[in-house]
Amino acid sequence: MISKQTAISVLNEALSTGADYAEIFYEDSQQHNLSVENGKVETSSSSSLCGVGLRLLLENQTVYGYTNRLTKKGLMDLAYALSRSFKGERKITVTALSPIRVKNRNPVGRPYADVSLEERIALIKEGIDEIDSMKEPAIVRTIGFLTTHRRLVAVYNSKGKWFRRVTEFGRLGYSVVCADENGMETAFEGPGCQSDISYFREKVDPRRTARKAAETALMMLHADECPSGKMPVIIGNGWGGVLFHESCGHPLEASAIARGLSCFSGQEGEMIASPLVSAYDDSTIPSAWGSIDIDDEGNPGTKRCLIKNGKLVNFMIDDFNGRRMNREGNGACRRQNYRYCPTSRMSNTYIANGKSTPEEIIRSTKLGLYAVGFNGGSVDPATGEFNFGCSEAYIIRDGKIEKPVKGATLIGHGNEILKKIDMVGNDLALAQGMCGAASGSIRTNVGQPTLRISELTVGGRGGELK
Amino acid sequence: MKYDGFFKKAKAAGIEEAELYVSTADTLSFSLFHGEVDKYSMNESMSVIARGLVEGKFGAAACDVYNGEKEDYLVREIVRNARAIENDDPQFIFEGSPKYRKVNTFNNSLKDVPIDLKMEKLFELEKKIREADERIVDVAQVAYEEKASTTTLLNSKGLKLSQKNNYYVYYGVAVARSGEQTKTGFDLWLDNDFSTLDVDDLAEKTAKRAVSMLNGEPCESKVYPAVLDPEVVAELISVYVSSADAEEVQKKSSFFIGKLGQKVAARCVTVEDRPLDRTLFAKSFDDEGVATYNKPIIQNGVLKTYLYNLTTAAKDGVESTGNASRGVASVGVSPSYLVMRPGKLSREELFRKIGNGVYITELSGLHAGMNPQTGNFSLQSTGFLIKDGKIDRPLDMITVSGTLGKIFEDITYVGSDKKTFPMGISCPSVIVRKLTVAGK
Repeated sequence: MISKQTAISVLNEALSTGADYAEIFYEDSQQHNLSVENGKVETSSSSSLCGVGLRLLLENQTVYGYTNRLTKKGLMDLAYALSRSFKGERKITVTALSPIRVKNRNPVGRPYADVSLEERIALIKEGIDEIDSMKEPAIVRTIGFLTTHRRLVAVYNSKGKWFRRVTEFGRLGYSVVCADENGMETAFEGPGCQSDISYFREKVDPRRTARKAAETALMMLHADECPSGKMPVIIGNGWGGVLFHESCGHPLEASAIARGLSCFSGQEGEMIASPLVSAYDDSTIPSAWGSIDIDDEGNPGTKRCLIKNGKLVNFMIDDFNGRRMNREGNGACRRQNYRYCPTSRMSNTYIANGKSTPEEIIRSTKLGLYAVGFNGGSVDPATGEFNFGCSEAYIIRDGKIEKPVKGATLIGHGNEILKKIDMVGNDLALAQGMCGAASGSIRTNVGQPTLRISELTVGGRGGELK
Repeated sequence: MKYDGFFKKAKAAGIEEAELYVSTADTLSFSLFHGEVDKYSMNESMSVIARGLVEGKFGAAACDVYNGEKEDYLVREIVRNARAIENDDPQFIFEGSPKYRKVNTFNNSLKDVPIDLKMEKLFELEKKIREADERIVDVAQVAYEEKASTTTLLNSKGLKLSQKNNYYVYYGVAVARSGEQTKTGFDLWLDNDFSTLDVDDLAEKTAKRAVSMLNGEPCESKVYPAVLDPEVVAELISVYVSSADAEEVQKKSSFFIGKLGQKVAARCVTVEDRPLDRTLFAKSFDDEGVATYNKPIIQNGVLKTYLYNLTTAAKDGVESTGNASRGVASVGVSPSYLVMRPGKLSREELFRKIGNGVYITELSGLHAGMNPQTGNFSLQSTGFLIKDGKIDRPLDMITVSGTLGKIFEDITYVGSDKKTFPMGISCPSVIVRKLTVAGK
C-alpha cells in the first residue's frame, strides 16, 4: 500500500498543470494456476503483480501511466512526467483523504493462501476421475485446472477520497478432447465464483462439471454438420446470454455510447427491443463472478436496468465517459489490472425472466436451431455486427429436439435481433466468462432464460436446412 | 550482477538448476478523437518469469518487480510448485547453442524523433481519413503507439542472452455510412523506421476499407471459387501452422498427427518460419535459449517438420527447432516469422482466373468459429462478388465454412501480392477452388 501522505503528494504533483481529476490505482495481486492433464499434475505456477496506475483527466482528455517503481520518488517521477501533457495552472489541491465505505457483498472467506496444493489437486482430480470412470476410448485428452486469485486494490483520488478493496476469486475448469474416425471435438466447462474454495464443493460438483464437458465433446463428435441459412433460433439459458453480452451489452457501454460510436447511440427512451425483453447489468449479486462492491473510481456497484420492456433506459457508465453524456458514473468503471486505463464495462449482465417455459418454446418451433453452448464471439459496437460459434446445438423439428449438430455460427446485427425476440422463457441462469475489451480481460457473468429469435442467419457446413 | 541473488538463494533452497526470463518495456501511446488528444499514456514495465528444477520437476513463478523480497518469493514458490508436479516429461535448463546469429531489431533513431512530430502525423492521419471520401461520417479513433523492449534469458548454467526490439504503429478506424448501413474500416502502419511512414497511404486504405463495404448484400448460398485476400490467408495460416506444435501432436490434439513427410496442402504452397530474416519479428534465440534458424514447415505442400521446444524434441528424439515460447506456467512453441512463398500472378490476374466467384477480404471471430483441433470453421466474412474477372459488388452478412486441410489442398494459384501482418506473417492472395459461402 501507499501511505496517505505519499498519495497526497503524488496527486498534487499530478494536478500541478491543471488536471481536473487525478487518481492513483495501487494493486498487489497473487495468482495460482494448477493444471492436471491425463491424470497427472502438469503445471503449477504462482504469479504476483504489484504496481501503480496513475490517471489524470482534463475535460475530455485522459492521461494514463503505470510503473513498478513503487517508491515515493518513482511515483513522483511518474506524476511529473504525466502532468507535462497539460499546460495550464493548478485548479485543485488535495489536503486530506477520507475513506469511502460501501457494503461488503463479496466477503473473503477462507483465504486461498491457506488452501494447500494437495487440497487443490484433490479437487481437480475428482472431476478427472469421473471422466476416467466413463471408460470412453474416444476421450484422448483431459485437462482440469484451478485458478485462484487474491487481489488487493487501493485507490486515492483528487476528490479527497480513498478506498481499499480485497477480492478473492477462483475458477475450476475441465476441457476434454475426443477423437475417433469421425474427427476430433473439444468441450469445456468452467464455473467460477467470487468466494472461497468451499464453493467448488458446495455449489458446484466437480464430477458433474467434468462429466458434462466429456458428454458434450462425445456428443458433438458424432453430431452432423450444422446446416446453414436463415431460421428461427432458440438460444439456451445461461451461456446463451453471451449473445446479448456481445451484441447488445458492449454497444451499451458508455465508451461507445458517449462518442456516438454505438449502434444504440441517441436511442435512449426508444424501443430498441421486443416488449418481451428487459435486461439488467447488476454488480450487486452477492459473491457472483462479475460483482463488485465498488468500482475502480470509487462509485459503489449498482443494479442497472438497461432495457425495460423493450425500451432503452440506461447504460454502463464511468465518470470519464459520463462527461460527454452529462451523466455521473454508475459504478461500471473496471480494468484488468494496473496496466490498463479503466473504462465502462459490464458485470453480471442478463435478460430477465419472461413467462414461457423452455418446453413451450421448443414445442412451438417447427424447424430451427437450438443453440445451447457457445465458444464465444465478437461484435463491432459501431455497426452492431456480431458472430458466435456454437459448441453445442440441436436441430428442432416439429416442436422436438431432433439431433445435435456441430460447427454452427450465428451472425447478425445486435439491434435487429433484439426486436426479433418473440418468446422469453422463465429459466434465467448465469454463466461465468472472461470479457476482453479496452481495459483488459475482466470477470463477467452472462445470462438469460431460454429465448427465441424469430429469424437469424446460421452458418455451417451441412448444406441447406430442409 | 543484478540477478545473482536469485541464483544464490535458489541453490541454497535445493533448486538444482534455475532460469530467469526477464522482459522490460517502455511504451508511449496517444490517441485522438474529433481533433483532440483524448488519451496519452506512458508506461514502464517489467516481467520476471522464473523456473527451477527440483528432483527433475519444474516449478514456476513470476512477478513484475525485482528486489530481495521477490527473490525470496520466486525461490519459495518454485520449490512449492515443483513438488506438486507429477508429469514425467524430460526437462532442461539449456547450456547454450554453439553459435547465435546476430539480428537487428532495434532502431536507435526512433526515440530521437520528436514527440511533437509523432503527434502531428496523427492529426494529419485523422484529417486525411475524414477527407478521403464524403461517405466517411466519423473517425472512431486514430492512435500511435511505440514500444521499446528488452528480453534477457539467464540461467544457472551460465547462459546469458539478450535482445532489444522496438517498433511504432499508427492505426485508424474509419466509420462510413450510406443510408441505414454503417461500416467500419481499420488499417495500420507498423515499422521501427519512422522515415518510411506514409500517412496518405494509411489514410486512404483505412477509409477505403470502410467505404468499399457499403451497400453490401448477401450473395446466394453456394460453393464458389474464391480469391482470399492476404489478410484472410494470414489468419488461416496462423491456425494451420499452430497444429504443427509437437506438444499438440504428442497429446493427440492435432490434425497433423502422422502427417510428417506427407502432403497437407497443394503443391504451390510453401510456408517457412524465417526468424533470421531482416524484419521486426527477427530473433536469434528462442525462449529457452536455443539458436533459431530459417526452415520450411510446409514445402511444396509437404509437411516438413513439427515445431519443437527442448522437452517435446527430447520426447520425439529430435533436436529443438528453436521455437520455444515462454508462458508463466509452461513453455509452448510458436513460429517467429511465417512466410508463405508468393507466386507470379497479380491479384487482378487471380480475379480473371476465377472469372465468377467471390473475393474474401475479412474473417471475424476466429476464436469462436474455428475449431483449432480439427480445422473445421464457419466464420462471418466480408468481401466482394467477382463477375467476369472483376470486382462486382460488396458482400454483407455472409459466412464461409470449410476445413482448413481441404482449403489448403484446394489452393490452385498463389498471388504475387505479398503483405506483412503484425502477427508476424507475410503472405500473398490465393485462389481456392471451392469455398462454401452461406448468404441468402
